[in-house]
Amino acid sequence: MTNVRVIGIGSPAGDDQAGWLVVDALQRLDLTERLPCALRIVALDRPSAQLIHEFEDADVVVLVDATRTGARPGTVHRIARSECFEVDRSLSGHQLGVASALELADALELLPADLRIYGIEMQSAMANCGPSHCVASAACELAQIIADELLQRFGAPAASDAAG
Amino acid sequence: MTDQFQSSPARSEGRTVQIDVPALARVEGEGALHLRIRGDEIEELVLQIYEPPRLFEKALEGRSFEEVPDMVARICGICPVAYQISAVNALESAFDIKVDPWVQAMRRALYCGEWIESHCLHIHLLAAPDFFGYESAIQMAREHPEVVRRGLKLQGLGNDLIRLFGARSVHPVSVRVGGFHRAPAVNEVAAMRERLYAALIDSEALVRWTGSIRVPDDQQRFPSVAMRSGEEYPIQRGYISADDGLAIGPEQFEHHFTQQHVAYSTALYSHYRGGAYLVGPLARLNLNRDRLTAAHQQLLQDAGIAAPSANMFNSVVARAVEVHYAIGEAARLLENYKIPTSPAAAVTPRAGVGYGCSEAPRGLLWHRYRVDAQGQILEANIIPPTSQNQARIEQDLRLSLLAFGLHHDDEQLRLHCEKVIRNYDPCISCATHFLRLRTERL
Repeated sequence: MTNVRVIGIGSPAGDDQAGWLVVDALQRLDLTERLPCALRIVALDRPSAQLIHEFEDADVVVLVDATRTGARPGTVHRIARSECFEVDRSLSGHQLGVASALELADALELLPADLRIYGIEMQSAMANCGPSHCVASAACELAQIIADELLQRFGAPAASDAAG
Repeated sequence: MTDQFQSSPARSEGRTVQIDVPALARVEGEGALHLRIRGDEIEELVLQIYEPPRLFEKALEGRSFEEVPDMVARICGICPVAYQISAVNALESAFDIKVDPWVQAMRRALYCGEWIESHCLHIHLLAAPDFFGYESAIQMAREHPEVVRRGLKLQGLGNDLIRLFGARSVHPVSVRVGGFHRAPAVNEVAAMRERLYAALIDSEALVRWTGSIRVPDDQQRFPSVAMRSGEEYPIQRGYISADDGLAIGPEQFEHHFTQQHVAYSTALYSHYRGGAYLVGPLARLNLNRDRLTAAHQQLLQDAGIAAPSANMFNSVVARAVEVHYAIGEAARLLENYKIPTSPAAAVTPRAGVGYGCSEAPRGLLWHRYRVDAQGQILEANIIPPTSQNQARIEQDLRLSLLAFGLHHDDEQLRLHCEKVIRNYDPCISCATHFLRLRTERL
């Protein structure tokens, strides 16, 4: 059985919750019953080594994080692995950010062959603030995009689709 | 992450050289090192901590004792359990609460998880690349993937052990004054115990691997300060000891150890008998080798670690043997696990002062709280291990650089300084990491 992980990375600070919001929205879609694969949806509060542990035994990984690229807040990015290294390096001063964690996983030959990375453009990441409306909406949209992709690839057609 | 290295050209007369390294990778916190060399002598060497004070102690004032464990956990993302346990030890002493053996054993098991994850992080991602001449852990991982994979697996086990008790590995939420908010389920504990026993093969291999690393033979004299605790290796409880025979309770700490401000640092500097001293894994090992099993002691002997060791670079083996010990100890503590009637003792606050300490991965972590009759915090004082080690790091840098040789070029000196500093696993803060090194040759 294919092992699929959807990993949302975030923190409680404003729009940095984007990854967690996608995880919440995906869990509400209740995909487990409709997908004949082993799906695990995970919220992480920091990438570091924990992200690498999540890659172990995963065939397909969908990674979601907040981004700041100058695009309109709420924009959903689909990021190539090579782009991710560049984007993250410019954003993160942390010891082991997403890019470094991916690079370390690559060095350890633990990077899943099928890795999809999504970013949601953030507006602000203020502590003690909720997410902005545009990011919250984008998170729901992205959750639907991910769900559709997974259903299309692994799942049986939904009842409504079959009827239509 | 990247070291931006700038060096002014050497002058032909007097050789005035200045080096600025704006970012040192692989330490926690914001700091700088200023080094001035005149001829064959170090004229000035200053470890400058300029990170703004975080004022946690002030933020605790006016809060209920019940909030303290979760608040102090935020001081550090790597060692939140240490802050929680030192805090509850202090508050339980203020309220004269005696926790039962189940609580002591489970706190010790939880704390083992923190030692495992923190030490494995430091050994594999922060310190080891230094000893092999790699620029980063990623570079090392490309050439030794099996070593780094084993280290991350052990680190993950430590995180999972913390999560078993605290619901999450960073800032766990289960510790409270009197015990725990909840006891883990029997089946979860059984599964963890099996994983711990299975990991002993890897942790023993880790000790042997660190023992095989060639480190500089840099013998120095320094006082070791660590806790001692009955027949066990000190982790979550005990008294404070030093290698000159000191044996005091946490309430006497301030009578023997002084804290002082220095103009160039926002962190306090600690002294024992007027000088620098060492806390941390090597100090613990130096004072508690007799508390290890014969098998652990044999591993240390095989690694060629003297008892006591005067070579700070042996800290990497000390960390590894503590990982191996903590895995076996946690497995033992989780044997015959039963859910208690209550995971916490009843707590009745009362006015007074409480003192507590424990052995954080980086060394002795001491807390003092003054509370009112309702258990509201009136005053807090927290002395973390890194501030206790700062004077020792400066002393070590001076001695180690002289032993290394000041004739080396600036880049080599800078790398050696970084290696010495990283060897202490300093946790200057939990946020960013920053070292500026300025070297002047006069």
